[in-house]
Amino acid sequence: MVQLENVTKQFGNYKAVNELNLNVRAGEFLTLLGPSGCGKTTTLRMIAGFEKPTSGSVKIGEKKVDHVEPYKREANTVFQSYALFPHMTVSENVAFGLKMKKINKQEIAERVKQALKMVQLESYGDRSVKQLSGGQQQRIAIARAIVNNPKVLLLDEPLGALDLKLRKQMQMELKRLQKSLGITFIYVTHDQEEALTMSDRIVVMNEGEIEQTGRPNEIYEKPKTRFVANFIGETNIFKGVVDNLNGNYASLKVAGQHVLIPKSSNLKEAEEVYISVRPENAKISDQQQDNLFVLTGEFKEKVYIGTTTKIVVELNGGMEMIVHESNGKMDGVKKGNPISVSWEPADSVILR
Amino acid sequence: MRVKTKRILFVYSMLVFLFFYIPMIVLMIFSFNDSKLGTVWTGFTFDWYFKLIHDEQIINALKNSIIVTMITTLIASILGTLAALAIHRYKFFGKQVVNFLFYIPVVIPDIVVGVALLAIYGWLHVTLGVPTVIPGHVVITTSYVMLVVVARLYGFDSSLEEAAKDLGANSWQTFWKVTFPLIFPGVLAGALMAFTISLDEFVIAFFNTGPGSGTLPVLIYSMVRKGVSPEINALSTIMIFFIVIMVLVVGKRMTQTKK
Repeated sequence: MVQLENVTKQFGNYKAVNELNLNVRAGEFLTLLGPSGCGKTTTLRMIAGFEKPTSGSVKIGEKKVDHVEPYKREANTVFQSYALFPHMTVSENVAFGLKMKKINKQEIAERVKQALKMVQLESYGDRSVKQLSGGQQQRIAIARAIVNNPKVLLLDEPLGALDLKLRKQMQMELKRLQKSLGITFIYVTHDQEEALTMSDRIVVMNEGEIEQTGRPNEIYEKPKTRFVANFIGETNIFKGVVDNLNGNYASLKVAGQHVLIPKSSNLKEAEEVYISVRPENAKISDQQQDNLFVLTGEFKEKVYIGTTTKIVVELNGGMEMIVHESNGKMDGVKKGNPISVSWEPADSVILR
Repeated sequence: MRVKTKRILFVYSMLVFLFFYIPMIVLMIFSFNDSKLGTVWTGFTFDWYFKLIHDEQIINALKNSIIVTMITTLIASILGTLAALAIHRYKFFGKQVVNFLFYIPVVIPDIVVGVALLAIYGWLHVTLGVPTVIPGHVVITTSYVMLVVVARLYGFDSSLEEAAKDLGANSWQTFWKVTFPLIFPGVLAGALMAFTISLDEFVIAFFNTGPGSGTLPVLIYSMVRKGVSPEINALSTIMIFFIVIMVLVVGKRMTQTKK
């Protein structure tokens, strides 16, 4: 539906987007995820037509749009600041796009009504947009875009200004809306949780380049780079050297201790690799359990985080590790007490 | 606040307002004075107002003033707004210099503009008349409009214009449907300033009008030289009322658009 080919955008000497290739499929919810300054908004703005790529080309549908002005593109944008016209009523805002297309008045009224109904604000048509709350303004901004039946809806951190509860609610609504309309959504956010909840596919960006593209579970469970592992969720990253490939698992020497990791075909002896271990996959181990390997260390501190307790372990050799354990398990354990940690070899994700 | 402080501040404020408005109030009162001398109150009359509307010289000067002021306001508003948009929107070589150049007419003495313009007219052999006042007025008022509109544009969310384009409006439609309505209060305020400045401008008008084509301030000046007549008081009273009503109307309009 939307294709970017070798797209580069340069602002002076600064490369905001570098040789980006992206193929957005029809009807999917695709999220561009990354920290601020990673080029995700610039990418979105190039699709909308507000920025012209320095090189490369953008296609919407089957049409190359490099020389097409924003007002002729079949994409509509929901802006971060909502950008509702303050001198117009809610209805006039929503009708704006249709009026520009010179659609007859009766049809405009009908479609505006439908769009407002879709965002559950059908009785707000005559209000001034300034009388609406942040969440309501957000919905109007969405209604104003989808009323035009765009092929692609571009959303630039649309929930950034809402409080947590409202944001969660809007996430669900947006997802539902996208499914029922069947419109392709390209969504920009820096919030990894939001990306994981809503997307069909996530594109993780960093410094103007794509780090990894994949389904939410792939991105979370099988990060390919250290950046992705670090950016998505909490994780422990260890640097180690492969020192034995003879057993069922490969052995990795991490700060003087041994960790077993899955034997992937391209591991070489004496190779330096990074592994990522999610805190929820690691366990504080007892002597009785028959673990494949155990790392020893000292208990440092614990933080109650609701469903679980976050435990910080100082591993022998100087590395720190975070483990999520069930609440109450570490009661009575004091700072400096010796403890050991273990996890399934399959839970180590090898990063390059 | 202590009661005593409050009282002192009240008296102080009253004195300031009296200082502002006593001359005008006296002028208004004496426009209804029966005496020709204008220094002693002898009785109430509307005579001066009747005389005023039958004085061809004054009516003519009023006509000239209205022509000059209207055209000046229109040109200054358009030029000032366009300049403000350019300064706000674009980065270009020498922008700082251009910006600075707009401040010069605000601080430069009117007499310099007046004399300079007169010199140019002399050099080009232009006959002085009503139209020759307008360029001078445009020079001093455009900057005011530009400064006011720039202030209004500061903080203007440019994503509103992007949103309009995103929704299918071309640049022309975007300007008239979104940008202009939003900066309109600024344009109106600028136009009002241009209007009042041009209406009572004396120096430039004095130097650049021909015989019989003087604006109201120029005529008043020549009348006053023969002594302040109550007719002038009546004329001034009318002007004060006219300006006050206009400011009220425009001010109300502006607060409505802002809402």
